[in-house]
This record gives sequence, structure tokens and C-alpha cells, in this order.
Amino acid sequence: MPRVNTVLGPIPTEELGLVAVHEHIGYGMPGSELDTRWWKSPEERYDETVPKLRQFHEYGGGTFVDATGICNGRDVNYYQSLSEKTGVHIVASTGFVGGDTALPFFARASVDYLAAHFIHEITVGIGTTGGRAGIIKVGVSRGGRMTDLDKRIYRAAAKAALATGVPVLTHLAIDAENAIAIFTEEGLPLDRVLFGHVDDGVNADKTRDTWIADQGGRIGFDTFGYETELPDPPFWARPRRQRLEHFLRFIGEGRLHQVLASADANCSPLGWPGVKGHTVNYIFEDLIPDLRAAGLDEAAITTIFMDNPASFLSITN
Amino acid sequence: MNGKPAAEVPTVNTVLGPVPAHELGVVSIHEALLSVVPGAEHAFDVTIDRVEVFETLAAKLRDFREHGGGTIVDSTGMFHGRDVRLYEALSRSTGVHIVVSTGMGPEEMLGGYFLTPQTNPPTPWPAEKFADLFAKEVTEGMVVPRVERRGAAGMVTTTATRGGMTATDESLFRGATRAAMSTGVPVSIRFGADALRDLDVVLDERVPADRVVVGGLDRAVAYAAGWPLEVAGRGAYVALDHVGTEGAEYATDAERVALVAALVAAGHGNRVLLSTGATGVSKGEPGVDVPYSHVLTAFVPLLKAHGVGDDDVQRILVDNPRNLLSVR
Repeated sequence: MPRVNTVLGPIPTEELGLVAVHEHIGYGMPGSELDTRWWKSPEERYDETVPKLRQFHEYGGGTFVDATGICNGRDVNYYQSLSEKTGVHIVASTGFVGGDTALPFFARASVDYLAAHFIHEITVGIGTTGGRAGIIKVGVSRGGRMTDLDKRIYRAAAKAALATGVPVLTHLAIDAENAIAIFTEEGLPLDRVLFGHVDDGVNADKTRDTWIADQGGRIGFDTFGYETELPDPPFWARPRRQRLEHFLRFIGEGRLHQVLASADANCSPLGWPGVKGHTVNYIFEDLIPDLRAAGLDEAAITTIFMDNPASFLSITN
Repeated sequence: MNGKPAAEVPTVNTVLGPVPAHELGVVSIHEALLSVVPGAEHAFDVTIDRVEVFETLAAKLRDFREHGGGTIVDSTGMFHGRDVRLYEALSRSTGVHIVVSTGMGPEEMLGGYFLTPQTNPPTPWPAEKFADLFAKEVTEGMVVPRVERRGAAGMVTTTATRGGMTATDESLFRGATRAAMSTGVPVSIRFGADALRDLDVVLDERVPADRVVVGGLDRAVAYAAGWPLEVAGRGAYVALDHVGTEGAEYATDAERVALVAALVAAGHGNRVLLSTGATGVSKGEPGVDVPYSHVLTAFVPLLKAHGVGDDDVQRILVDNPRNLLSVR
């Protein structure tokens, strides 16, 4: 029976519904918790988070994949409570957003130890929460190329993906040759990997998205909504039309079955200001209407937001 | 420096509040209570059982007290397992004063927030931001992350990279020093590769040398180079803070004894500090399994046998730390 690990336990893939495949309940760099500038009370956090998930549910959203890595403020007990109270399935990650977010204990660890840690979080649970990870996060550190630590993490992720059947989700798809070399050496089929952030404003023109797709990788256009037209855009923003056209061009080349899309929004950012007005619900309020206006039919939208995530997320042994 | 009238009794910031400095008794200046390698708290094979940690630390603190100890200084800073509420309970339970530090370092030990922030470009934190972060832990209270501030830090501590001070280490050193200067608590540095060069970075901030303690001066490299005498000559405190640990990287206890005697003979008895660098409970790496009481039980007798007088021993164990830690 195809299944996906959510924070409340495995669910049949059939229950996923529409998936926001790359989002965050809250994200912050490790150490940001020491800076009171970012502190908010629990009630403020709840107030910033629950209505967004409720709205997602009311729009017809089924599953929220939280791509927050181990040291970035991941809080599985909290995700369990949110999921129970809003009816939104939440998938949590093991792994690290990038080597530069892996604290020293993990930075010093061997590939085998990292793999063992990921496997434990997937098969036994995260910390004392009992919640099991449903995806393995990896990523490229700031600076443009994979560091040695990034490579160790990618290798450990590949081992864990093979051992457990859970897929890999990448933060950035730059320096993809190195990433693909590692996955290939480890024997991980590339359709178990979602190469993320191919569309972001800083990295899109350095990302070999078609080449990666030709190798068999899945492609994430997952920073929708971070637009330069916003009053206070982040540095990775991109003009709305430009991103949309990039996406349409990509799927127009016969790659509809390889793409996934999301907004990479924070419900309540933990260690950065966030972007006001940018939420997971961009998917329903802006993206899907834009795609319909561009001529995509319901079948295509279902493929992008339901079938492709189901195939990606299902535990595959 | 912080406007304290001269007639007031000097105090030291302990985890239970300011304590008159003369009540500290024998002080061990560079110890660790709960020491956690950053990240180990998430590790699948690491368990941090609060009851077990409390019991272990309480036993070690009681042992320290029974052998004459008065005050333990946890010098691991704000990002290595510090648990302020646990230390409050321990201090109350055992009667040992606990001074807790702010600060961080070396660079490798920092969270990415300080090294590759979410800015473009991802510029590491400058000294001034570290200074503000650390100073607030003295003036407003130590952070219990995302929950509250409680208790005032009694010292600012930082460490440089073993292979040599990096640019971020230098920002940490300068920031720590500025925080010490603005709040009146001392600054403690563990040198990286070159104690004198690292100390000079601190002194370049124009902090009075007697507000500075240099740790690790019983490392073999420091002992061989004669740095303890040089550091004392510059007016800073010399911490021989691995008493009880020997081996290739450290002086032997016999060498430490000779060093103390030499420093006293050279007129620097008022700048010597002793500690074991022990970890009460260590998670994520092997600890330093020496009792906090080791200086009192094993090392002081060696000092006295070597001819170091009672007054000098008292100065080292009680007066020097009292002077260093007094808020001014």
C-alpha cells in the first residue's frame, strides 16, 4: 500500500490530496533563537499560523510538506498539534537545508552516522515526538558550490533514501553535476529526488533545470510568490511574469510529469522578517488562477499538484 | 566604569543573583556544568535526561564543596548546553555559588545565523553585534531561547580556533571585550594558536588588562613558549585551567606546579588562576572527567610541597578570582 510519513503517522498516498510540497511552518538559521529580536509569544505564533493552515484546508489543500531541516527550528510536536487541529496533513523533514545550517555535532559526523540519524528519524521518529520524517532535506550552502559537508550530507541522504524509500528534496539545484554524481554513485534513482528552487531570482540562470530533468530528476518551481513587485521583496525575488513564463516554457517542453510547484512561504518566520503577505495560499489565490489563465487544463493542474507529489512522496522500496 | 559608588560592596553575578564578592570562597574559574556540543541535542543516540544530569552535577558540586570549594564558574558561554534554570536549582540544592557566562566561540561552534545570515551577501556578524548580544545577557538576563531572559551573566567568554584566530574569531574577541567593558564583568579568552597575539586583540580594545583572563596557558605550546609569564607581564590573569589533564597537548601537573611557583616568584602571584576544565556532564563528545575538587584535593598539596606558601595559595584560589569577577 503506497504510503507517506506524516507527523501524525503514515497515511495512504490516496489521502494526500493537493500538496504544497515545499513550505515552512517556521524557519530560522541555527543560533537565531539566541537573538531576542525574533522571539514571539506562543499565542502570536499560533495567530500567524493557524489561520493560514485553515485557509489552505478550506481552499482544498490536503498536505503541507514542511522542508525545515534539523537545526532550523523544526518543531515536530508543534506540527503534530497543528495538523490535528486544522485537518491539514503535515510532512516533516529529516536532513539539513545546507551544510551551513548543520551545527558542529553533525558537521563533524561521518556519512554513515548522518545516514543512521536520518534513517532513525524516518523509521523510528524525530526526537521524543514519535513523528517520523517523510522527506530528507539536503541543500547547497551559501557561496554557489557544494561544500565538502554538503556532499557528505547528500551522500548520507542517498543512503537513507535507499534504505527507507523516502525521497530527497534539495534546497537549490545549482552545482547539480556534483549532486547527481553523488546520487548516481550511491545508486539512488534520480526520480527519488526533487531538485528545488530552480526558479529563484538569484539562482535560476545558474540552474541547469532541463539538463537535470533529462537525467531523470524531478524539478521544483517552489518559490512562487517571492515577487519583485512586492512592497518589500526578499533578495531572491523574481518578476512574477518571468517566473511564470519560465515554468510554462519548462512544462511546454513535455516535462509536465516531472514538475512540482510550491511557495516556500513561512507561516511564522523564526529568525528572519519573512515577507508580508506571502503565504502557502498563493498557490490557490494566484498560481493556479495564473496557470488556468495561461491555458492549463484541470488535468494538468491535478498532475502538478496531486499526481506528481503523490509519486514523489510515496515510500518507494 | 558602570558608575558604582566606591563605598558599595563589590558583588559578583551568580545564577541566583548578585552575591557579595567576599562570600565566593574558593573559586574554580573555567569549568563546565552541562556541556553539549551544538547540535548534539538533536542526535538520535544522545539522551539528555534532566534528572540524571541534575544528580550527576549535584554530586560533583557537593564533592567540590566538601573539599572546600565555594564557587564554580561555568565558562562555556551561551551556546554549549547552558541551562540556567537547572543551575539555579543546583546552586540552591548544593550551596555552591554558580557563575554562568555569556559568549560563544570559536567560529566552528557558532550557528549559521552568525556566519551565513539570510542577507545578501551573507556577511558574518561584526564585533559590535556580538558585543550587544553578550552585553544584554549581563544587563537584561541570559536567554532561555524563545522563552525568557533570566539571571545575569557573570563573565563573557570566548575561544579562538586552534589552528589560528579567524576573522570571525576576532569579531568574537572584540565583541566579548566590548561587552565586558560596558557591563563591568570580566572577559575570558581561550587562545587559538598564539596567546600573545590573541591577547593583543583584546587589549587593543583598551580594556584594562586586569579585566582579562587568558585560559589554556597550561597547554604544552604555551608552557614551552613562556607565554604564561608574558601574559602576566601584560597585566592579564593567567588561567592554568586543565589541572589534572596531562598528555602530549598539556603540561604535566608537576610542570604546572613549577609554573605557579615561577609566576609567584616573579611577582605575578596576584594574576594566577587555577581550574580543571572539567565537564560535569558532556554530550556529543568525550568529556574531561576530572572532579571539580581536583585542584583542592590533589594540586594544592603539590603546590605546598613545592614550597608555595599558604598566603599565595589563598591568593590564587580566593582573592584573584574575587577581584576578577567583581563587577566594576
